[in-house]
This record gives sequence, structure tokens and C-alpha cells, in this order.
Amino acid sequence: MTVTHHPDIATLMAFSAGTLDEPYAAVIATHLAMSEGGRETVRHINVIGGALLADEQPAALSDGALTRLMSRLGDDRIEVSSRDDKATADDVPLPLRRYLPKGLKSVKWRWTGPGVATADLGWGRDGKSRLMLLRVAAGRPVPEHGHGGQELTLILQGAYRDRFGVFAVGDIADHDEDVEHQPIAEPGEDCICLVAVDAKLTFQGRIMRALQPLFGI
Amino acid sequence: MYSITMSDSKTGSHSGLPQSADPETLLLRIAQDRDREALAQLFSLLGTRVKAMMLKLGASDAIAEDMVQETFLAVWRKAHLYSTDRGAASTWIFTIARNLRIDQFRRQSNKPYEDLETVTIESAEPNGSVMVEQRQVIARVTDALKTLSAEQQEVVRLSFLYDLPHAQIAERIGIPLGTVKSRLRLAYERLRPMLEDLQ
Repeated sequence: MTVTHHPDIATLMAFSAGTLDEPYAAVIATHLAMSEGGRETVRHINVIGGALLADEQPAALSDGALTRLMSRLGDDRIEVSSRDDKATADDVPLPLRRYLPKGLKSVKWRWTGPGVATADLGWGRDGKSRLMLLRVAAGRPVPEHGHGGQELTLILQGAYRDRFGVFAVGDIADHDEDVEHQPIAEPGEDCICLVAVDAKLTFQGRIMRALQPLFGI
Repeated sequence: MYSITMSDSKTGSHSGLPQSADPETLLLRIAQDRDREALAQLFSLLGTRVKAMMLKLGASDAIAEDMVQETFLAVWRKAHLYSTDRGAASTWIFTIARNLRIDQFRRQSNKPYEDLETVTIESAEPNGSVMVEQRQVIARVTDALKTLSAEQQEVVRLSFLYDLPHAQIAERIGIPLGTVKSRLRLAYERLRPMLEDLQ
């Protein structure tokens, strides 16, 4: 898989710092699972955190801290990554399996407009952001799904095209909110995207979203 | 093009860690021999710094101590996953502490990070670097961070150490969100030669 559209470096820095709401972190982690180059970039960014940690002014630990730690090593539990989940949904990358345990084929789609269906996968802290799937029929315009706020769109199946080029599997669209573009799903198969959006704005845009495919805007 | 000194003779001397200490060797001893003494040494070396990082989040002293305990228990349990091509010890411990921070203070799942780590381990991407190089990278990045403009240092620290999302950084400083992002991008561009230099 060759990924040509990458996240904004500032978004990857927020991922590395751990400050993204879970829906955004889930989209980035899923993208990175599909992009070796992206993983390398994040490894580099993580060094910023490592250097800042190494340069911290030490804060004194309590007297019994070391004894307490040593006394807790007893169970000697070693973490082994579980391989059980591999059998269930290997058509989606590992970071997405928790949200989609049975894979893309079992998604319960909700019709939201001609040629357009969505499925909710989860919400961020305080319900501020949301993780969802968006399916657009081949050749159809991709409806605006964010209406401002940060929006990350990762292609899981098929492709779409806009003025930035063709976005295919593994590619991510991470545009500033003021960027105007009208993606059209490429002919062939339906385009399925994993999307993280600002929840409140999406809700306000619901009617518009349903109308947009009709008017092709 | 960069004004900082990067001669090899200075390697390690500008890092915040004492030069005699070698956290990577300690981690490997834990990984290979389940060496408790090595864990104790690593704890005294970096535990105080993890605590300082947790205190920046407004945690009480007791909670910061708990987070240090959890971080080093995770180090003990995950040490077999560490190898020097995963990066410097302080970078690896930063990511463990960050994952706990997400879980404890953000109260949201860090599973996307854990799953991504599994993907990374399974793909076993070699990067050809060795231990001494990782330590050099940390020392150089530590130095280079201090050469960033005050504005760039501020957004980097608020993000990585104070755990503030970009929108909250914008609010706190009183600048547009786009400016926060562009300062971070500029900081990355400035650090990039050091971050990517594994020679």
C-alpha cells in the first residue's frame, strides 16, 4: 500500500503528545497502521517527548517510593499482545477492530442521502467529537461531513478525487477547516471512509448534509 | 545552518541526565534478565522526571507518585518489548507515561496507541540505529529544543508536557488555532535534522 496523502505534521505532533480526542486518535492510529512512513515520522516526533522528559527538573519522590515499587513487582506479569482478535475482522487495521469487531462487512449502515450512508462508531470525551464511517456510492459526490472544526478522513475502501488529487486506501485528508473542496467518489467500488469530526457542528449540519448530495454542492 | 553545537565530544553532556547513567543498558538488563536492581536504578534516574511531568498536569503529589508507580510497573512488564531500535529509554518511557496520562487524566481509552504499538512490533521495522546513537539523538534534540524561538518552545511544551490540545493552547496564549499549528510545524522543521539523524 502506497500512502500519498499524509496527516498535517501538527496533527501527528498532537497524536504523539496524546492530546487528541479519542475519535481523532483512533483515525490517526488506524492510518499509521497502514503507513510505515507515517509510523517512522511519529517515532521521530516521539523523541521530542523523550528529550523534554530527560530535561525535566527532577521532582523528589517520597521516601518509600522505591520500596513500594519493588514490592509490587511480585506477580511478574509480562504483557503479551493478544492474537485472539486476528480471526474476527482482518479486513480492518488493528486499531479499528475495537470499534468494528466484526469488520466492514457487518456494519449497520444508516441511509443519510442518495448514495450516502453513515454508521456511528463512538464518541469522544464529553460527546464533543465523533467517530463514524461514511460510505459513498461510486461516482457520487462525498457530502460535507464536518462543517468546520477539525475533520480527519481516512480512506478504508475505494477512492475519491478532489482538487488535491486522488485519495485511495490508507490516504488521509487533514485539511484546515477553511479549505474548500468537493470530493467525488471514483468509479468502480463504493468509497468507505473513517471520519472523526466535531460532533456539535455535525449535528447542526444534519439537514444540510442530507440535502447536499441532492444539489451536488 | 543550525547554530547549536553538535560535535560528538559533547554528546550527552547537554542532556538533563547524568552522564554516568545509561538508561538504555538498564532497560535491556530488565528486558533480558528481569534485573530488579536495574529497574531500581532506572527508577531513581527517570522516576523523578516522570513525577515532574505529572505534576505539570495539576496532579496532587500523591497522584503524581501513583502515576510514577504505574509508569515503572508498565516498564517492568513491557521491558521485553524494548530494544534499542525502538528509541532512547527516555522516549520509550515518555510514551508509556503519556498513555497512562491519557487513561488517567483524559479519561479516555489509550487502546489506539496500544494497538498501534502491536502493529509496529509485528512489522518489526529495522531502523539500523544502535544504542549510542539514540543517546546522541536525545542530547542533540534537547539542545536543539533550546534554540527554538520562545514562541515555538512555548507551544511545544504546552502540548507535550502540559497535555493541552491545540485549541486550548490557542485560548491560553490568545492566538488563532492556525498560528499554534504553524508554530508547531516550524518547530518540527527546525528539529527535523536532529530527529531524523540516526548516524
